[in-house]
Amino acid sequence: MEATSRTCLKDIFGDRFKDSPEDRLCYAYDATGKEFLPDAVAYPVDAEEVRQAILLANERRFPVIPRGAGSGFSGGCLPVRGGLVLSTERMNRVLSIDPANLLAVVEPGVVTETLKEEARRFSLFYPPDPASMKFGTIGGNIAECAGGMSAVKYGVTRDYVLGLEAVLGSGEMIRTGVSTAKGVVGYDLTRMLVGSEGTLGFVTRATLRLLPLPESTGTLLALFRDNGEASRAVAGIVEARITPSAMELMDRSAIDCVRRVVALDLPEETGCALLVEVDGAPPSVASELEGVEMALRAYGAIEVRRATDGPGRERLWKLRRSISPALRKIAPVKLNEDIVVPRSALPEMMAFLSELAARERLTIVNFGHAGDGNIHVNVMISGTDSDERRRADAAVETIFRKTVDLGGTISGEHGVGISKAPFFEMEVGPLGVSVMKRLKAAFDPNGILNPGKIWLEESAVTR
Amino acid sequence: MIDRELAEKIAACVKCGSCRAVCTLYPERRTEVNVARGKIALLESAMAGEVGLPACGAIPLGEERDAAVREALADCLLCGRCERNCPNQVAVEEILVAGRTRFADKLGLPVWKRILFDEVLPSARALNAVRAAGNAAQHLLRKMPTESGLHYRFPDVAGLHGRTLPALPPIGFVASLGKDEARAGEVMLFPGCVFDLVMPEIGRDSYETLKAAWGEVTVSRDAACCGLPALASGDRAGAMKAISKNLVAMRAAAPRSIVFPCGSCLKMFRRDLLNVIPTDHPLRDAAEWVAERCVDYATSILDSPLVRILVPAPAAFGAGSVGWHDPCHLSGTLGRGEAGRELLERAVGRGFGEMKGTDRCCGYGGTFNARDYPTSARIGENKISLAIQGGTSTIVTACSGCILQLRDMAARVSRQTRVRHLAQVVRGLLPA
Repeated sequence: MEATSRTCLKDIFGDRFKDSPEDRLCYAYDATGKEFLPDAVAYPVDAEEVRQAILLANERRFPVIPRGAGSGFSGGCLPVRGGLVLSTERMNRVLSIDPANLLAVVEPGVVTETLKEEARRFSLFYPPDPASMKFGTIGGNIAECAGGMSAVKYGVTRDYVLGLEAVLGSGEMIRTGVSTAKGVVGYDLTRMLVGSEGTLGFVTRATLRLLPLPESTGTLLALFRDNGEASRAVAGIVEARITPSAMELMDRSAIDCVRRVVALDLPEETGCALLVEVDGAPPSVASELEGVEMALRAYGAIEVRRATDGPGRERLWKLRRSISPALRKIAPVKLNEDIVVPRSALPEMMAFLSELAARERLTIVNFGHAGDGNIHVNVMISGTDSDERRRADAAVETIFRKTVDLGGTISGEHGVGISKAPFFEMEVGPLGVSVMKRLKAAFDPNGILNPGKIWLEESAVTR
Repeated sequence: MIDRELAEKIAACVKCGSCRAVCTLYPERRTEVNVARGKIALLESAMAGEVGLPACGAIPLGEERDAAVREALADCLLCGRCERNCPNQVAVEEILVAGRTRFADKLGLPVWKRILFDEVLPSARALNAVRAAGNAAQHLLRKMPTESGLHYRFPDVAGLHGRTLPALPPIGFVASLGKDEARAGEVMLFPGCVFDLVMPEIGRDSYETLKAAWGEVTVSRDAACCGLPALASGDRAGAMKAISKNLVAMRAAAPRSIVFPCGSCLKMFRRDLLNVIPTDHPLRDAAEWVAERCVDYATSILDSPLVRILVPAPAAFGAGSVGWHDPCHLSGTLGRGEAGRELLERAVGRGFGEMKGTDRCCGYGGTFNARDYPTSARIGENKISLAIQGGTSTIVTACSGCILQLRDMAARVSRQTRVRHLAQVVRGLLPA
């Protein structure tokens, strides 16, 4: 970035413009394990500052990279071409909660958990619950269309964004969507922006849909002998016409991984576990718990544990919550993928992953949101064996190919970013890529917004 | 810590950002350099001899860059919340302290810290001399009565920001012990320099209550600072000097247990001691012997027969008006908060109520309070305001830094809020 641009940015942001090596380095990473040094960082406090920065970037042709909490797993906020990181950390106000219309209006830097707490004060509920919700921001969730455990019942971020205010890559300010329960006027630009990974516009304000807070929650932990039984039980619960608010599967590799670091009170023959949660009015929770338990037993559960109070439910969640910390103990590096397959294809995918791990002599730990067919596949790498790394990379490509063959998607919630760019065309095809590029040009004619993401030829980055 | 070990600890940080959710400082600053992963990234780059990483393009470290990284590492309260919340169990505190040590060795410490850590804190005589000098000088300041004792309000100039500190006493707790007092006993009290020299009444209350609990109690007449301030600033030599003096005295007294009314001092002896003293050091055996015997004040009283005869004084406190503040080191790092809570509940009965924001850091952070008092004060004022909102009018805790900070903050926010040490509450209930 040239000196003139820096001077102009200092005029816009004052002491909220930083370009010391230390400040730049602290915005060079996210959770992917890759680093790219930006030229500078700025902290806008309102949409006008964002607009001015993006207009300047168009004039001086430097990249602008929107960034929330930097908690992504696909590199969506990494400044792969340098440029200016625009952090939403100071745009963090919940502007309003409207109980009459079940709406919230927020700035992009609001932490998701903060919005949930604010909504709870009105007995309302913002359902999306990505694993990073305690520190991840709404803006980041919108950029990546974050999911979470409750997606099986409540859907993902996209399903709760009614309207947006954004500065497009062109520097133009746009308002999209509605502040009403429905609206069908014109193209759905809101949905275009949600999940666009900050490549089309910088979201400066969001109108979000809220729901009434469920009155109660019940949890079941079912233990199975193998992955097949558990993944068939997932389909069984859906066939029983019950929609749980979470349905998390932990396969044998995940349980073994936790067993190595935490004492687990599980029968020896446990080879797979399914955690199911239902919510709603107390009578419906009670009857749904009965229905789920019947289905679980019908599909071969050797034991089903149940809890409806806070501490009891927390005990049942212990296994699921222990997986991520335990992963680190078995290998320092993990290739963390988030494939989704149709629910009916889950048993086949789980069997395929077990076979692949054995065939390629790899540790592959699988767990995740089985209720919507979303599996977090973690290919573990010791970090020192180059042959192991080669086999792991090849395995990931094989997994993606199988996922697409089964009618699934290579990313359910992490996004493409730089990590999945090499495989993007595999899923959307050359025409899909071409149409998307034309859309990108309409929003961001000079290509200044978050360049080097999603498509491979511009990314120049491989895994 | 050798660099290979440090590099391994650093590598455990995958920069997921979960440290942002619980960082005490982050809400005040809202920049990445304030959270653990940012500081760890900076230290990692400094260890590589450059700022930046190979893929980023490196910027060689010069003196200016070194100083900037050092400042970033120093700008932390070491409350440990990030470490406890980390899904990968990254040893953040160890990493930051190792980083501070690295820069202290490379760039040296400021003169005032060198004198403080190397000359004053390791010496009971020097500590007493400073107390005496302070006692003489403080008459120039404005006295300020507070609910929790006589304090001095510093002028709002020269970076003092109108802070309130307790009056330095004419004599410290240890010096006040009679010739035949505290010579021998199965239990040893380590009051720490604040409860000895700044708030000797708390040292005395700790001593009297432990005596009521266990019979005779030993106190070293030559106790030095626990060494934590020096260690946290990266001065391992200064820390070793203080630790060595204490270890020799503790081993010689051969007590069954050593009781700490201050959570931070306890953390130094229970957790940090064995990291600081190398396995081949002549004092290593003594250190292991001592570390095993260190216990917090509440646990010691709860384990004693005294607890059975303490009669709660409900009349003295309104229902739910007495709250427990979790000191970061005692409750968080050492996990001893429940003992403090239990003892307090036994002591005040229905007067006890869980305090709103009980586990929030008070904002003191040792030298952080001196480094950035306005931020430290904002964190502390929020803490007091939250406590008041929840109906707490008396805050009880067991850490010297927390008491200094909470009393100062109470003087800023609400002079009706009382801040007391657990030992003060327990002493009030001793049978006549």
